[in-house]
Amino acid sequence: MTNILDDYALISPLRHRNNWLKLAIVLFGLLAGVSSRSPIPPFFIALCMSFATVTFGKAPLSLYVKLLLAPMGFAVIGVFIIAFFSGTGPELLSFELLGYPLSVRADGFELALLVLARSISGMCCLYFLALTTPMIELFAVLKASRLPESFIELSMLIYRYIFVFLDIALSIKYAQTVRLGYSSFRRSIRSLGMLGSTLFVRSWEQGDKLFLAMNSRCYDGKMALFEVHRPVRAPEMLLTSAYFLLTLALLYLTKNASIV
Amino acid sequence: MIILETRNLKYTYPDGTVAIQDLNIEIMKGKKIAFVGQNGSGKSTLFLLLNGTLKPSQGEILFRGVPFKYDSKSLREIRKSIGIVFQNSDDQIFAPTVFQDVAFGPSNLGYSKEKINTCVQLALEQVGLSRFKDKPPHHLSGGQKKRVAIAGVMAMEPEVIILDEPLSNLDPVSADEIMDLINEFNHFGSTIIISTHDVDLAYRWADYVFLMSNSRIIGQGTPVEVFKDSELLKKAGLKQPTTLEIYHEIERRGLAYGRHSPKTIPELVNTLKPLELMWVEVPPGVKEGDNLNLGVMYGEYATQSPYEAINATVLHIHSDGRAVVELKRKGIKAGGILLYDTENYSLPEIKQILKKGEITFVGAMGKKSKILAEQDGIQLDVTSGVIDKSILMALCGKRCLILTAGGMVDHALKRIKEYVEKSGIEFTVGVVNREEDCQWLKESRSSPETLKI
Repeated sequence: MTNILDDYALISPLRHRNNWLKLAIVLFGLLAGVSSRSPIPPFFIALCMSFATVTFGKAPLSLYVKLLLAPMGFAVIGVFIIAFFSGTGPELLSFELLGYPLSVRADGFELALLVLARSISGMCCLYFLALTTPMIELFAVLKASRLPESFIELSMLIYRYIFVFLDIALSIKYAQTVRLGYSSFRRSIRSLGMLGSTLFVRSWEQGDKLFLAMNSRCYDGKMALFEVHRPVRAPEMLLTSAYFLLTLALLYLTKNASIV
Repeated sequence: MIILETRNLKYTYPDGTVAIQDLNIEIMKGKKIAFVGQNGSGKSTLFLLLNGTLKPSQGEILFRGVPFKYDSKSLREIRKSIGIVFQNSDDQIFAPTVFQDVAFGPSNLGYSKEKINTCVQLALEQVGLSRFKDKPPHHLSGGQKKRVAIAGVMAMEPEVIILDEPLSNLDPVSADEIMDLINEFNHFGSTIIISTHDVDLAYRWADYVFLMSNSRIIGQGTPVEVFKDSELLKKAGLKQPTTLEIYHEIERRGLAYGRHSPKTIPELVNTLKPLELMWVEVPPGVKEGDNLNLGVMYGEYATQSPYEAINATVLHIHSDGRAVVELKRKGIKAGGILLYDTENYSLPEIKQILKKGEITFVGAMGKKSKILAEQDGIQLDVTSGVIDKSILMALCGKRCLILTAGGMVDHALKRIKEYVEKSGIEFTVGVVNREEDCQWLKESRSSPETLKI
């Protein structure tokens, strides 16, 4: 049963590593990627993060590529527009399309590459987090960041019941489909409306039952959170430091370099 | 000792529907209680009343002789002592991981972190889910969810555990595991209350049964008393348990006699003995109604086990010195059932027992033992309904080994000994790796005739 990212994160071996370390890696990657002036460091970060996700995190490669392709589509469109419509400097490429002159200039090309690199590195960093750290590990992080208790408790309950209601919604949808509820557009709209209202009523009832269940186990307004203690181990520390240092060095070296 | 008691209990829902009325029950400590009734007969409402969740409109509930009070401190005490497991596990499990859910109760009791940890570990180990502690509930199967729900209640160490329809929506094997678990808790002294509409379950499992219909108790007693009364059952909208029904049909056809109430299949099989009559020559002086000892028979004269001690009751004495007698056979040394406590487990020992004890049938009870057997590649012939099947195999002269742990060892031992006592068919029962040694390994070579009957 793996159909959402959280499921992949749950079975990932990196799940059992220190959450803070993973968060630090991701934050560092994001910041370094965004602050870089040259496209090289972001590409390097993207490569490292992808490698970590697929090799250490054991995320299936095909899934990973598929995941990357979706936002890449948007990024590439944006990049084309930037390349063709901005910048000054020497022309690299020019042609006419239906009587309109189109040209790519050095500046524009540089900017386009940088945007592409930054967006890819950002995506890779976030996918690293999404594919190795399931939500249930993040509650402890939320708690440590001093968010209000009730917010965390609510998010824990919501997380649990998303799946309960997903099940209910799917079974209602199935029950509607087998009785031809989605055979025409009008009927689909009607069925969907019924699904929504039923789900609302169900969630209301579920709230009552939840209160009952919590009360019968002596609920006193507080839900304790148990954080599993996972110390950072030496190899992890070493690898992370090496990665940080390399990225920083790259950042420094490519400060004023230009590709074109 | 009465642990829970209700007096003139009445509950009306806010919309005016009467859910419970005139309810007077007494529940004994350490017993297995079943409330049996159709859907909507008021079982679930009663359970919410017993847990202090609902407040009765009239009457009172007493726990250990003290009436329930409904201030928050007393309610806490009640809910700590009386745990409830809901019918739908999804209603009960609300935390994002198994561990957190089981820890919810203990942490509300204000235990220290270490104590919570040990409580939860223990509870999860008992239900065989230690490996799943970091999983989110939506990755578990129905049976596993049910076990998490039970562990969540067990972790609070209640004296009374109430389970609302514990076996609904479970496959037979999971259902069996849940019953094993419940029996184990009962063995350690917990009072267990379940609701069910499965008459077969209530009949074979419970010590005491309450029949509910239309928000009232319409009958109560031991399962044998309650389920014999078919009029009462009809009133409750229920039918007779299958084993009892089959037995009555068999009895009506004259294939069994004796007015038994068999609960399990072995007991049912054991009733399948038509009256056995024989002409024998009797010494003078014997009167009608006397008992004769015909000695030990074997071979074709022993029909049920390799050797049989046969007693006879004289029914009629003929003038020529012969008499009609009714035979009573008592088997000696059918097979045997050996129990192995997996708490002190060693693979070489088991292998040796399997070889030396000429064991042909191996079963495992309880999740822990099953996992152990699976790990070490011990071939299991049976994993559900283990005790019954082992008794049936033993009756056929086979030797069985049951792997199990903790309280279930005693539970199994008790069940099998009870069967031996009731049926009069003797076979060896023992626990291998405990103080009292394995009997049959010693006795197997001595001849059956020397055994005392």
